[in-house]
Amino acid sequence: MIDLHDLKKEYTEEGETVTQALRGVTFSIEKGEFVSIMGPSGSGKSTLLHILSFLDRPTGGTYTFQGKSIDDMTDQELALVRNKDMGFVFQSFNLLSRLSVYDNVEIPLLYSDIPPKGRQTLVEEAVRAVGLEEKLYTEAAKLSGGQKQRVAIARALVTDPNVIFADEPTGNLDSQSGLQVMEILESLHDKGRTVVLVTHETQTAEFANRIIRIKDGVVESDKKIIANRVHRDLK
Amino acid sequence: MLFRDAFKTATRSLMHGKMRSILTMLGIVIGIASVIILMSIGQSAQGLILGQVESIGSNLIIIIPGAPANGKFSSPAAAQGIVITSLQQRDVDALSREPSIDYAVPEVRGQGDVVYGNNDVTEGFTGSTADFFTVSNLAKVSIGQTFTKSDVDSANHVVVIGPDLAKTLFGPNVNPVDKVIRLKNVSFRVIGVLAKGGTGAFGVDIGNLVVMPITVAQTQLLGINYFNVIVVQANAQYDSAFVKSRVGFILEQDHGITNPNKDDFTIDTQEDILSLLGNITSILTLFLAAIASISLIVGGIGIMNIMLVSVTERTREIGLRKAVGATNRDILEQFLIESVLLTLFGGAIGIAAGAAVVGLVYLGISVFDPSLGWAFAFPISSVILGLVVSGVAGIAFGIYPAQKAGKKNPIDALRYE
Repeated sequence: MIDLHDLKKEYTEEGETVTQALRGVTFSIEKGEFVSIMGPSGSGKSTLLHILSFLDRPTGGTYTFQGKSIDDMTDQELALVRNKDMGFVFQSFNLLSRLSVYDNVEIPLLYSDIPPKGRQTLVEEAVRAVGLEEKLYTEAAKLSGGQKQRVAIARALVTDPNVIFADEPTGNLDSQSGLQVMEILESLHDKGRTVVLVTHETQTAEFANRIIRIKDGVVESDKKIIANRVHRDLK
Repeated sequence: MLFRDAFKTATRSLMHGKMRSILTMLGIVIGIASVIILMSIGQSAQGLILGQVESIGSNLIIIIPGAPANGKFSSPAAAQGIVITSLQQRDVDALSREPSIDYAVPEVRGQGDVVYGNNDVTEGFTGSTADFFTVSNLAKVSIGQTFTKSDVDSANHVVVIGPDLAKTLFGPNVNPVDKVIRLKNVSFRVIGVLAKGGTGAFGVDIGNLVVMPITVAQTQLLGINYFNVIVVQANAQYDSAFVKSRVGFILEQDHGITNPNKDDFTIDTQEDILSLLGNITSILTLFLAAIASISLIVGGIGIMNIMLVSVTERTREIGLRKAVGATNRDILEQFLIESVLLTLFGGAIGIAAGAAVVGLVYLGISVFDPSLGWAFAFPISSVILGLVVSGVAGIAFGIYPAQKAGKKNPIDALRYE
């Protein structure tokens, strides 16, 4: 599903390389995997997630998503893939606080080819999947942090994407809310979705069945693990 | 993104900051209202001026001494106060013999103190023939009568005065007929008071008019043997352009002129005057509307400014929308629709405000000076123009902020604090 080969990302200023965020990253992610990308601050893990999720382009190497190279795609095609095949969960939720839960979850559908009539069912299903059906018409600003992140997950789910990218999804949450969010991601994986998670918390990363560690822009280790579901009990 | 969704999204954003939206719109509201008010009032003023010219009589041709002016908007020499003596009685006689002409009425004009008892006012006076009243649509008198051909032939010292002057000289309860007034120290017996008052075409103060036989005015008051103007009323069966050419031909013959470029008189038909006045008032209206449109530009810049602030404030929203699939075009459209909605709504309010002001002006004039004949004019073209201009302003001043929003990099936008 995702194939990276010698992926590089350099930031330049006036023609000169200022930062080498990724120095040649190579790995593949199969459909249905739950992968955690870990690393210390400045390791390049967020840059890697942005490239994986088509929010940014690499400056070297190749990235193939579902058999198609990012280099061959226009910005408009990238937007289309982001809408249809990818879902995003951000550390800071990125909800539009003045809108209701329903309206927030509906946003990706506004940019899809799904007609207005079909959207309501999809939004209600996604909100139900994160257990917030009773808050459907509550303003996002009035929700707790954990509820906001669940709304963000519903928004990521609503277009039925193949892969969900989560960038530090528990970073702004208390342990109980964080656990709930991770359980939802875990259940999505159980239902066959590919989940790619960036985190610096070991306990969160261990919900995945594979952990890729990044350091100084290269893959330091890439290990498959048996998902440690015991952790939720430890929290 | 469907237009319906883009519209809904834009409306929601504008509703979220109601006060800001209202204040942003204010510039456009004022601009559109100003343009509408000036266009409407300009049209009413044009109607009033043209109506007054038409009211002085039908099929009129005015002959002024002196060569025609070169420029379209410059006046002939006689109208600039230069004494030209080219129009004489023989011209009136020759014109009167022309079958296409019903009346040829000479006029002389002057100014002097009009005195009755202790009352003394300075007024303009007109000397003319008995046909003056017919040709000028002033034949109706409230008291007495107008003077006759016999009065003119005999150079009788009689005058017909306007109703306002009658009131000034004699007060409201005295019958002016047969009272003797003095004008430039010459005695005149008042024989009639005009029924019509107010201001006529070209600012002629009909209410204070003093008209006497031309023979008296020429010999006793002015000491001249020429005329200041000859007013010709064409026979209704003839085209005014034809009559104009006949008048020209007759006067050239009379004055021994062979080259029409050397005419010592100027002929204007009522159509010429109406067309000239129409052009002047239209240009004036457009000029005023152009000045008013400056406020539209200021309003538009205000919208651009607020839209730029809005784009900056909503950077993270833009980033999010792009992350979940919005294209540059989707974002551009959303902000452009917001800007156009602001200006269109502002334009609609401006049109309504403009209509209200135009209505108030009409009501005010109707109450304070009903005789003016001010008509309510609210041209549909100004409404269409108002809406089109506000829509175009929305696009013109919204496109830059919208493009700026559309081009934002999603990563940078999502990271924006």
